[in-house]
Amino acid sequence: MKATFGEKVFQTLNYVFLIAAAATMLFPLVQLLAVSFSSPVAADSKEVFLLPVEFTTASWEHILKNQGLWTSFGITVYITVVGTLLSMLFSVMTAYPLSRREFLLRKPVMLGIVLTMIFNAPMIPFFLTVRELGMMNSLWALILPGLIGTFNMIIIRTFFMGIPGELDDSARMDGCSDFGILFRIYLPLSKPVVATVSLFYAVGYWNTFSRAVLFIRDPEKWPLQMKLRAYLQSPEELAAVNMFLGDFDFNTTTLKAATILFATIPIILVYPYLQKYFVKGSMLGSLKE
Amino acid sequence: MATRSTELKQDGAPLPLKASGISRNRYIANMRKHWMLYLMILPGILFYVVFKYVPLAGSVIAFQDYQIFKGIWGSPWVGLDNFGFIFTYQDFYNVLRNTAVIALYQLLFGFPAPILLALLFNEIRLMVAKRVVQSLFYLPHFLSWVVVGGIVFELLSSQGVVNAVRGWLGYEPILFMQEAGYFRTIVVLSSIWKEVGWGTIIYLAAIAGINPNLYEAAVMDGAGRWKQTIHITLPTMFPTILVLFLLQIGNFLELGFDQIFNLLTPMTYSVGDIIETYVYRAGVLQGQYSMTTAIGLFQSVIGFILLWIFNRLARKTDQGLW
Repeated sequence: MKATFGEKVFQTLNYVFLIAAAATMLFPLVQLLAVSFSSPVAADSKEVFLLPVEFTTASWEHILKNQGLWTSFGITVYITVVGTLLSMLFSVMTAYPLSRREFLLRKPVMLGIVLTMIFNAPMIPFFLTVRELGMMNSLWALILPGLIGTFNMIIIRTFFMGIPGELDDSARMDGCSDFGILFRIYLPLSKPVVATVSLFYAVGYWNTFSRAVLFIRDPEKWPLQMKLRAYLQSPEELAAVNMFLGDFDFNTTTLKAATILFATIPIILVYPYLQKYFVKGSMLGSLKE
Repeated sequence: MATRSTELKQDGAPLPLKASGISRNRYIANMRKHWMLYLMILPGILFYVVFKYVPLAGSVIAFQDYQIFKGIWGSPWVGLDNFGFIFTYQDFYNVLRNTAVIALYQLLFGFPAPILLALLFNEIRLMVAKRVVQSLFYLPHFLSWVVVGGIVFELLSSQGVVNAVRGWLGYEPILFMQEAGYFRTIVVLSSIWKEVGWGTIIYLAAIAGINPNLYEAAVMDGAGRWKQTIHITLPTMFPTILVLFLLQIGNFLELGFDQIFNLLTPMTYSVGDIIETYVYRAGVLQGQYSMTTAIGLFQSVIGFILLWIFNRLARKTDQGLW
């Protein structure tokens, strides 16, 4: 088929627009990276765009020596690892019965779960419930109240429903229980969806913020995003030195840039794996219900 | 699937017990036979009850003068007093107006953005370019609002890139984040930047499901790309668009705490303080639990009424959520 003149013009403009817009998705991160490796004078004189000016690693050296940042980093790694494992365990354990026709409560339970997507729990009663459970200032408050993501659970359930029934019939003949079928047959067959949903959960835990705002008052227990926000609000704490005494190769601008990236780098590292799976995974979820 | 349905008949068929208690016996028999499934789902049900339904039921404190030491059972009931109070309260109108205006902007600009972008993606013929461009567009979805907020503040600061460009063009720098006039634009643009790529996925799935024969037939009839888009692609996307539209309407006043909280400064409270940030400050920080729960309940009820109205309209034309 031959493209008309108008279509050719459109094609060209479309490419130009999409490539330019896609570049804006990456540009802020690249620019921050350049600023974080630039001298304070260059950073504050609007000279830094894509490449560092007057290259220095002083900002990174300074923030990597920051004990508080590492404490928060540790907390975030902890809730990401423990949270993702627990979330996956309980999500598959919820998804499996909901994918079984012989589970008579399948429909009412499913309805009850989907309804929670429309009727969100309001902030204050949610806050009071978690506090009543004694979870204030506990890292469990960052894990348990969001243990099962409904969307994630439905993705897993949809995948389970596509697994042919003959497989578990034969397993049952061999004396396999439902737990056995789930963990020995379904999970190994569901590697792509397990990978996708695990990564979704992991990113969610890594980015945990509002629950920490609600439940963690003790700065010693702040996860990374909370710490980052505190530092962005008062960067002089990040500098932790009197900028007027002495000559430093960093200032609050370059330190903030380095700290934002510090909190983002793990996401960027897993992103190639993430995006390999998620398009497929999230399409699965959209097909049913 | 055939095996499963026979299995269902065996399990699901009423066992030869007395006719009166058939349905109850059916459940008991099912529970006995498949007790493991019930055991397995128990933690999940417990999760939804404790963290979703208990807080939902806890909304009754909107009708109480909730006191922390007396709890829900001991606090006195006050009927609609809390609602009466919020409607006489100037702050509430301010916050409600901010929320409604930003929500309207999000609906007008934020909602159509991924639809348009999905159509533009669909016109890319070069698969490599498509994959690269899409990967870049999906990236910001995975960044936290703290990070995106930090990026926005840096870009728009007096030393930031935007003011550098203004400087080249001979304009004075503007402190965007401190000026009330720019706040809502920044909110809408930053959420489009963060979510537009991710939002295309569901529409691209709908487009991928279109039968290629339709396009071939359209080409036979002499339709160009534009006509194919208008007459085939868009109509096929319509059910998806409608469902997402209704879901957004249902959560109309829920803008997302994280975004606003991370973009707000005291200088922009007058235009940017929304229900969620206000409820956080007055409720969580200052302990006015009943009053803020009343506001939260009001917000949910508005969302539900809007959903109900638009769902009725949607059913008249085509199809709704229920």
